[in-house]
Amino acid sequence: MPTPAAVTTSPTVEEGGVHTVLVVDDEPTARMALAARLKRLGYRVIEAGDGKVGLEVLRRERPDLTILDWMMPEMDGPSFCEQVRQDPALLSSQILMMTSHDQPQQIAEGLARGADDFLSKAASKYEITARVQAGMRTATLIRRLEDVTEEIRRKQEVLERELQSAARYVESLLPAPGTLLPGVQMVHVYRPSLGLGGDLFNVVPWNDDVLGLYLLDASGHGVSSALRSASFSTFLRRENLLHHVGSSDPGAILTEANRLFPLTEDGNYFTIIFARLDVRARTLSYATAGHNGALLHRRSGEVCWMAKPNLPLGFDQSTTYLTEELTIEQGDRLYVLSDGLYEVPASNGELWGQDRLEKTVRAFGDCPLSEVVSGTIAEVIRWQGHEHFPDDVALMGIELTEKDFHERSSEP
Amino acid sequence: MSDHLNHDPAFSLEEALARVDNDRETFQMMTELFMEHGPKDLADAQTALDAGNAAGVTRSSHRLKGALLQFCAPAALLACKELEESAKTGNLTHGAQLYATLEQELQRLLAALRHVLDKGIAA
Repeated sequence: MPTPAAVTTSPTVEEGGVHTVLVVDDEPTARMALAARLKRLGYRVIEAGDGKVGLEVLRRERPDLTILDWMMPEMDGPSFCEQVRQDPALLSSQILMMTSHDQPQQIAEGLARGADDFLSKAASKYEITARVQAGMRTATLIRRLEDVTEEIRRKQEVLERELQSAARYVESLLPAPGTLLPGVQMVHVYRPSLGLGGDLFNVVPWNDDVLGLYLLDASGHGVSSALRSASFSTFLRRENLLHHVGSSDPGAILTEANRLFPLTEDGNYFTIIFARLDVRARTLSYATAGHNGALLHRRSGEVCWMAKPNLPLGFDQSTTYLTEELTIEQGDRLYVLSDGLYEVPASNGELWGQDRLEKTVRAFGDCPLSEVVSGTIAEVIRWQGHEHFPDDVALMGIELTEKDFHERSSEP
Repeated sequence: MSDHLNHDPAFSLEEALARVDNDRETFQMMTELFMEHGPKDLADAQTALDAGNAAGVTRSSHRLKGALLQFCAPAALLACKELEESAKTGNLTHGAQLYATLEQELQRLLAALRHVLDKGIAA
């Protein structure tokens, strides 16, 4: 008499190894007949005498195909199927249900409760063979799909870890918020769209009274953009600028950068604003290359958008970028930002836009700078209806604090 | 039916062997297994019938039917199906009569199988 779960193997090996079939039937003669047929077809066969034992064997052995009797003690076939479909580890199992009743409503019930196909107990050996082989083909495809999915998941995990590591590196390049120079405070927010962004901003200390500020935006997103931005940021280091450009003049810096960073083969480019803040002379000189995200919110309430229409870097090597200059006063605030901040669509596709950004900044008035920056980001999130930005977002706010700035600028 | 003797063959050895691809060793093992379990299933059906347990009659006759399908034994299979279908309705009014037919056909089949075994089925 067969044991409740007996394993028998035929020496025939199919492509990809011996496939396993679990036969669950409480009637031993029919079970033996089917097992013998399957072994002759080259399959490894495991037998179980009822649904409960069959489920244990299915969990332990993960056979390629299960052939299941409908009516059994302990647990019948449809209940077996339901349990399998509710178990994430088993739900992709292929189940061929055997029944001696070929009523359409019974077949429909079996399929609805989780069977993949039906086999009549009175079926000819040819039909048994054909249905088993069809079930095995499906099982093989599902196994391959599961293997490929698992491989993709593992590779995705490796990529995610590498991206996170790269993102930490990029964030390490960002300046620490706080006091840049006595009388100059800075707050920023950085929200890359893919964990690793192509936007980068930084501060270039020039001397005790002068500092450079830049925000650059590499076209595209992700690893390629981040690498190009990191490379560009190396060019924008003080020592390198002194060596290559010989001055802190924003226009001269961008003109040289335009020569050194042409369009890539894929047509990628940079937009940038480079500003030079002189706290003693009370001047803000700057140059832009295709970058519109910069505004000066004066203490008086006046808002001045700083951008001039011109080409991004890399389009025309003969372009000369000119330096503009503004006077600055204590209490003025400079906001430098990427276009990803205001080119954010609402659910109906309407963009938030520069006008709403300006109104938001005006509405916050002289609230603490950190509140203006975080409140502006919150307003954009409210507009788009979710936290995930479609493009990289960077926002840097610089405030000329009243007391220190006044004292420094009035020194002889 | 139980009052009439059935002179047709109890089963078709040729068809039964064809179902197992003429694997005589497997057929012999199946036959021995059936000769052990078939009478038990029949006895279970009798017990359930005596107790008026229609579900029990259905279960036992269903099991027996699964085995009978392997031996190409039309009369025994028909008797078994009739008992199962009748019990499935919950009405055992004709249960005793249907059971008697099944018992008679099963005994005929068992005798025929025993005869085949005695002659020696394994080639």
